[in-house]
Amino acid sequence: MQLSGKVALVTGGRQGIGAAIVERFLLEGAKVVTCGRGARPSDMASNIDWVQADVSCSGQMELLKDHVVTHYGALDVLVNNAGVQIEKTLVDTSDDDWDVLMGANAKGVFNAVRSLLPIMASGGSIINMGSVSGNAADPGLALYNASKAFVHGLTRSVAVDHGPSVRCNAICPGWIMTAMADSAFAVAEDPAAAKQDALVRHPAGRFGTPADIANMALWLASNESQFVTGQLFTVDGGLTAASPLNPSLF
Amino acid sequence: MDAEKIFTEHLKGRVAVVTGGCGGIGQAICRRFASEGAQVIAADVAPMPEALQSSAQYFNHDVTSEQSAQDLMAFVEQQFGHLDVLVNAAGIEIEKTIEETTLDEWQRIFSINVTGTFLTSKYGVPLMRKKGAGSIINFGSYDGFIADPSLAAYCATKGAVHALTKAMACDYGKENIRVNAICPGFVATPMLESFFGDSGDIESLKQQVRDIHPLRRYGTPDDMANLVNWLAGDEARYASGALWVLDGGLTAQVQQMRL
Repeated sequence: MQLSGKVALVTGGRQGIGAAIVERFLLEGAKVVTCGRGARPSDMASNIDWVQADVSCSGQMELLKDHVVTHYGALDVLVNNAGVQIEKTLVDTSDDDWDVLMGANAKGVFNAVRSLLPIMASGGSIINMGSVSGNAADPGLALYNASKAFVHGLTRSVAVDHGPSVRCNAICPGWIMTAMADSAFAVAEDPAAAKQDALVRHPAGRFGTPADIANMALWLASNESQFVTGQLFTVDGGLTAASPLNPSLF
Repeated sequence: MDAEKIFTEHLKGRVAVVTGGCGGIGQAICRRFASEGAQVIAADVAPMPEALQSSAQYFNHDVTSEQSAQDLMAFVEQQFGHLDVLVNAAGIEIEKTIEETTLDEWQRIFSINVTGTFLTSKYGVPLMRKKGAGSIINFGSYDGFIADPSLAAYCATKGAVHALTKAMACDYGKENIRVNAICPGFVATPMLESFFGDSGDIESLKQQVRDIHPLRRYGTPDDMANLVNWLAGDEARYASGALWVLDGGLTAQVQQMRL
């Protein structure tokens, strides 16, 4: 029970990686609040505190802060997981696409940290969701890639400006098998071949699961990482340790 | 050399040593330096190609030998009195995992790729100090950042060259001796031919690897010489301690999906 007595807020905890982090934090004894744009999902477990809130809206993040203060007093762990992906090149991207994607992935992290950092307990941990595509590009994901590079930069700034009271780190997932990953592969001329190509380039021999990312999030949330701040943690099964060449070619 | 290239002779009167100067990339660098007005010494254990004789002097130089480095720089001092530019381009590749690599092979690749860069620079720096300025250009590789399969010792040597580049830049910056590394990707050279050498359907493989590059082609020795030429000259006067990736965009991406 590594998070016994801690209060954690995970944005975008309805599905995918966010849901795995919520589930793991609960198992480790945390009280978990999560939020999303929709109403509380009907199948959500009763021990999860759901707040309908959109990270791209600063007013709603302020209301979320009030909710946390009222019900829990303070916050120990903030996981900025909410994010969207739009599969377009730069020239295909519209103004609306920009607002949606940068609103959630960039402004969303900004809004959440700005609202919630003042109510974080001393020793608190902020965990942002970056991406390996914030360091090297995935094709057809121009704004997504750029938004993740923003997250990487903001992670370091928050760590520098707001230590020692809080720590701030980012996780850079690689291919994690979620609906979002399938949408990313869909930009390929031959999605099945692209997926196979990616798979053979994983030294770990498999794609990641949301639980793999939750493992890292738990460590960063826990007291095991008390001296860790301002860093990016790649969890990609070794994918980006290798060049983009497909070893099966040789 | 590109047909449309305009030479500014920005290296006029400069003295440049290129180790591995008779190899694929080294020859292109020697020719470019000569076109820019430099006095060029191609330092190599391989013999001087006839085509290079109008561009460079030859010095038989074994980069693994301290005596050879001393002899090379004594020759440069006697001929020119100082040194302006040193390009450490000598290098080899071993296509093996660590289990397949013998200790002798490991020591050989380190002695050429790493010790060679160390020794030639060690005896070149004093001749740059005499001039009060200098530019050293080492050969790293994107494989010094990320790995390709079955190139373990090679990857390790290039990581070492990257760190050595920064260390040398720290130590000699105050003397206006700049140190940078270029980090090539796939360059069409005999080394690349050897890399593809024993792999089944070579033409199809070459095409597939080529198409993984955003620019859809392999680098040429002249592409490498273009950057080395810039780093050698005064336009790069504020560039030091940096690793310059030159790979047609290969490592800017996680994966090429439009094959």
